[in-house]
Amino acid sequence: MPTVPARPLRILLAKLGMDTHTVGITVVAHALREAGMEVIFTGLKQTPEAVASAAIQEDVDVVGISSLSAGHTRSLPRLARLLREQGAADKLLVAGGVIPEEDVPLLQEAGYARIFIMGAATAEIVQYLQDWWSARLAAEAARE
Amino acid sequence: MMDVAAQLLAGKVAAGARAIRWLDDRDPRAGELLRRIFAATGRAHIIGVTGPPGAGKSTLVDGIIAEERRRGRRVGVLAIDPTSPFTGGAILGDRVRMSRHALDEGVFIRSMGTRGESGGLSRATYDAALVMDAMGYEVVIVETVGVGQEEIDIVALAHSTIIVCVPGLGDEVQAMKAGLLEAGEILVLNKADREGFEQTWRHLELLLHLRGDGRVAGGWAARLLPAVATRNEGAGAIVAALDEHRRYLEDSGEFARQCGRRSEQQFLALARAALMADLLCGPAAELLSHVRARRLDPYTAAEQLSAQLRAGRTPR
Amino acid sequence: MSRPLDRIPAAEPAAPAPAEEQRRWEREKRAPFVAAHPERREAFVTQALKWPIKPLYTPADLDAAGFDYLRDLGFPGEYPFTRATQPNGHRSDLWTMSQVTGFGKGEDWARRARYMLEQGLQGLILEHDLPTTNGYDSDNPLVEGEVGRAGMALDSLEDLERAFDLPFEKLRYLMSVCNAPQPVNLAMIIAALEKKGVDPRRFVLHIVNGILIEYTCVGRYIYPPVHGLRIATDCIEYIIRNHPNWAPISIISAQLQPAKANPVQEIAFSMAIALAYIDATLERGLDIDTVAPYFHFVINVDMDFFEGICKLRAYRKIWAQLMKERYGARRPEALKIRMMTSPTTIALTLQQPLNNIGRLAIMATACALGGAGESMTTPLHDEAHALPAEEAIRVGAALQHIVAHETGVADTIDPLAGSYYVEALTKQIESAALAEIDKIAQMGGALRAIESGYFQRTLGREQYERNQDIETGRRKWVGVNHLVHPGEKRQIEIFRAANTMEEEQVARLRALRARRDNTAVAAALDAVRAAARSGSNLVPPCLAAVKVYATHGEVCDALRDVFGVHTPDSQLTGV
Repeated sequence: MPTVPARPLRILLAKLGMDTHTVGITVVAHALREAGMEVIFTGLKQTPEAVASAAIQEDVDVVGISSLSAGHTRSLPRLARLLREQGAADKLLVAGGVIPEEDVPLLQEAGYARIFIMGAATAEIVQYLQDWWSARLAAEAARE
Repeated sequence: MMDVAAQLLAGKVAAGARAIRWLDDRDPRAGELLRRIFAATGRAHIIGVTGPPGAGKSTLVDGIIAEERRRGRRVGVLAIDPTSPFTGGAILGDRVRMSRHALDEGVFIRSMGTRGESGGLSRATYDAALVMDAMGYEVVIVETVGVGQEEIDIVALAHSTIIVCVPGLGDEVQAMKAGLLEAGEILVLNKADREGFEQTWRHLELLLHLRGDGRVAGGWAARLLPAVATRNEGAGAIVAALDEHRRYLEDSGEFARQCGRRSEQQFLALARAALMADLLCGPAAELLSHVRARRLDPYTAAEQLSAQLRAGRTPR
Repeated sequence: MSRPLDRIPAAEPAAPAPAEEQRRWEREKRAPFVAAHPERREAFVTQALKWPIKPLYTPADLDAAGFDYLRDLGFPGEYPFTRATQPNGHRSDLWTMSQVTGFGKGEDWARRARYMLEQGLQGLILEHDLPTTNGYDSDNPLVEGEVGRAGMALDSLEDLERAFDLPFEKLRYLMSVCNAPQPVNLAMIIAALEKKGVDPRRFVLHIVNGILIEYTCVGRYIYPPVHGLRIATDCIEYIIRNHPNWAPISIISAQLQPAKANPVQEIAFSMAIALAYIDATLERGLDIDTVAPYFHFVINVDMDFFEGICKLRAYRKIWAQLMKERYGARRPEALKIRMMTSPTTIALTLQQPLNNIGRLAIMATACALGGAGESMTTPLHDEAHALPAEEAIRVGAALQHIVAHETGVADTIDPLAGSYYVEALTKQIESAALAEIDKIAQMGGALRAIESGYFQRTLGREQYERNQDIETGRRKWVGVNHLVHPGEKRQIEIFRAANTMEEEQVARLRALRARRDNTAVAAALDAVRAAARSGSNLVPPCLAAVKVYATHGEVCDALRDVFGVHTPDSQLTGV
């Protein structure tokens, strides 16, 4: 039996607001699992408050938001602010979906490290997260 | 730097979550943490919830949480889902069904993957329950993966085990008979509004009757209860039964004995692991290679190992 | 001297049988050719079903499928309706041409609707925003940022009164998409039409009323499935009894496509869902010959040309068969499926959006060849970006006219019939779909399939597989993994709804609540709850409530009080 990775990356995937499209998030969740990550899914129609609370309870490394409706310019920054306020600023924030390129700078300023525009390959998302995780693990090891 | 042990003893969720992460990842800091919080454990009522997939466990747990909250108790939940044996990854989706408690400060829900274990739990589950215990959660619910016959680990870990069934399972009920149904304290027949309910109910009643545990003087007679979890029906009676069971355990001294037994099992498991690790570095390593090459039979090898240990040869 | 026997010509050698000839051809011509010119793919399979595509189809394939012209095809307008439901195909009447619109406040929708009617469209589709389809008012804190974005914000009768500032004489039909809170939405439309003095017999209102598909794959549900079905049936019954010229239900099997259903699953799941609604409606004391004609399907075709065409043909045949054999329907109107066809949006790409115009043209042609049904909708070529822009609307409308008037495909009925490939594929799809319908029936029908998560799990698996097809390059998609232009500059104008819209809508809502008769509203909401509990039809009390300006969210909440809300067992499909 293959060995379980000693420290799998834990990522919370959520959909904020009224948007109920699950295909994108389903496909990403499967791909992340195939890549050996633990994916915690908090459900549909979530508020930023509920997602922040779950992110802390689950001690995730990454929070990934999927957004296909158009309310992202308000709800995503609010989530980022809540996480900072609750001492969880060290979690990586990423988002994906139908997010116009014009909105990317606003979201990056709000704290989102990377936006995956709809159509981004899951391989790209997986690679990005794996690279980030390796760097983080290396930094932690160096500190000890 | 967060003093995780101190903060979790003060009830801080972020610290508790970090502690459980250390346990899950087998971080070297976990041992020290457990030492520091051990004295604060032994109070929580650990409740196991198991049953085949599709039985509605998570929805039922959601109802039980609400009911416990109504009684003013703080609730911790460990929701276990299977880790892929091929990739090591997992999709942990149980908390979806408990999302109405997302903002309740008295509820702490944590999802875990089985991470290579096959009994429906992960290796860190028990210690994670201890963390929640130490944080002050009076009730800790452990919802297992639900693979049926193999799920006996939960019985050893929990004070009270709830087995969730659904009508018309047929073959699956047969399969569960062999293992779980003989050990659960509360049987819940969920989806009571389904066809086939009467038949399955009678079947389960018969099973419990055959178990005969109610006939032992002072023993606990297993409860059979109906529920329609999606309509929030049945949780009240289930929690009442859980409370009754807890009182029974405390009155009979079983509660403390079980906690003691679990500590014992933890100790033995840890000791075993430590000893094996040592041995496999020492004389056992050589013996092992002989056995693998079939130059030596296993029985002789084992005897030789015992003899060496008795003779006081310390492992390298 | 010749003898008599010499004059009898020698017998011709027996003509080789076609199968033999085909083997010869394969052996002598094709195989050697392929040896020298390897095929460009390892395996040729259909796009969604992934069934093997043979190099050549011949009469032998028809024989193998047991094809019989009269039994399998028949004649247009006659059982089993495979070739067409109307006796003259599209030679007398073309399909109605329509497009999606709907965003923002009532008057914004009205403005664009008027523009579309001027461009030659005759039908409009009213999509509502996410707060509305999920049963919330615009000022509910849960929906902040969503108001008026994905469709029109409909908080009260006032909003519809503003939206219905339209030339109703140009409108042939109006479709409203608002599944979970359907009785409230229906009530508002009826009340608004009354206020505007529009004669409901002069055009057709279609309400989608498709809650079962929402549970299956779209996710805009409110109440538990068993109550969702009851609510939908109330609306169906109300319309059949009070507005018999309207359409009370649309099975939008097209929504299964973004969820990656293949044609067999599309047919089987949508038919099973239709059967669930039919069974529920028959229990209200209506009979199949009355009820069946009201059912209406919205079916998309994808880029696989033949899967699309054969799927449409199979739909017609299977509906006819089910109505006849399962219910004993006798009226031709009950046996003829009604459908709206459309090119699918999932085939369109974000990259190189102009390519999408070509894709739309191909898919619209496939619809016409498969039999476009009563109407065709064209999505817009930049739909992958945001909501439609004016230019895209014009192009979409023109496409349909081009297919209809410039290609000749609609000038004869079912022109591809008899094609060896088309008939073989149609039969294959048909038998696989019937088998799946049977399997779902064994489970207890669509409601059980939804509650047990069968539909959702099946689709979830497909979603991952199809995504992998693209990422691994197994399937070529121009602009995405083939002929990619890195760093391309996009020039399509993106449509942006005004940002102040939400604030304005919230302000209007507050003003409304202040000036209406709140006692009357409270009483009306009580009546809604009572009907929910007693089981009587919900539409009349909803109508009374919206007329006193109870808001959309308030009526939905009254129903939540009685029915509770739905949290499904598996929200993440296929997990």
